Amino acid sequence: MGTAGVLLLLAAWQVSVPLVGLGPYFYPAPTDVVGAFGDLIRKGILPVYLADSLERYLAGLATGAALGIAGGVLIGLNRRASLALSPLLKFLFAIVEVAWIPIFVVWFGYGPKTILLALVYVVFFPVLYNTLLGVRTAPQLLVNAVRSLGASSFQVLRLVILPSALPGIITGLRVGAGFAFRGLVFAEIIAAKTGIGYLIFEGTQSQQTARTIVGMIIMGLLWLGIDQFYLRPLERATIQRWGLTVDAEQRR
Amino acid sequence: MLRLPVLASVVIAAVVLLYGAAGLLGERHKLAALAPLPPRGDYAITLAFAPERFHQLLLQDQGRLVEVRERTVYMKDVAPAALRDIARAYWVASIVPWSGP
Repeated sequence: MGTAGVLLLLAAWQVSVPLVGLGPYFYPAPTDVVGAFGDLIRKGILPVYLADSLERYLAGLATGAALGIAGGVLIGLNRRASLALSPLLKFLFAIVEVAWIPIFVVWFGYGPKTILLALVYVVFFPVLYNTLLGVRTAPQLLVNAVRSLGASSFQVLRLVILPSALPGIITGLRVGAGFAFRGLVFAEIIAAKTGIGYLIFEGTQSQQTARTIVGMIIMGLLWLGIDQFYLRPLERATIQRWGLTVDAEQRR
Repeated sequence: MLRLPVLASVVIAAVVLLYGAAGLLGERHKLAALAPLPPRGDYAITLAFAPERFHQLLLQDQGRLVEVRERTVYMKDVAPAALRDIARAYWVASIVPWSGP
């Protein structure tokens, strides 16, 4: 059904091109987009841009997730840390990453540092808040039971709190991974000379709108692939392993 | 349970390895006639198409780009490692020594 919908959309798009009657700069046909895709591959541009974007994305996601998990556990377990950091985190969460990118450019210049910081910023908050939620909703009964058996604080963390928080962490990762894609496009438009975000921007700048659409499609497909092949199986694995939450697909 | 991520990672790793191997084969083929490479050399690098800004920026990182004429980029002071990097790109059709402008 999904494939049929896509094919129908492509057919409608192709048929509408002569009816609209605008040039390929304003309204490229699917065949123009396929041609642009082939051209970008032939000229070696797409593989380099794709590799650069994925490298930045993974580095930002890994760093942001590590900091978010550590911060969520710290704030969730330590009341003083929670009181001290919560207002600041709420304030920073309200400032979108796009607002930070120009400042990062001033501080770190155009290039990988700025992009990495922007991605870390967008991934950090959803991971932190979901980890925090997971840590705070860890069953107190289990914590007390493990403590009564003589477990140390580290053992309580390892045996009860982290497993309880795992579905929350995975949900945070999934949300953060999605946000990171948007952050990547913004950051590459402003601060990079390579990457899929840059391709999207540069395509319209050089009046090659079909290239922009190739970039958009690649972004969409990348996200579908990451979600389908990595995030969903990881979520399912944690749900099955720990059995603490049930997703909509399992209920059906 | 995590078979799908492992399988996807294996496929990605295989594609990357094949890409790298194809690049190495291309490098050997394109540089076979130039061995031994001097410490710094001047070369005419012909692409399979007219170079875009992307290619010029990439080549600029590897040496001194002097001139672009149709499909050929003329470069000076290219180190052997940089030349090997250039030769690995599948869009580079041929590399020949250049005696200068």
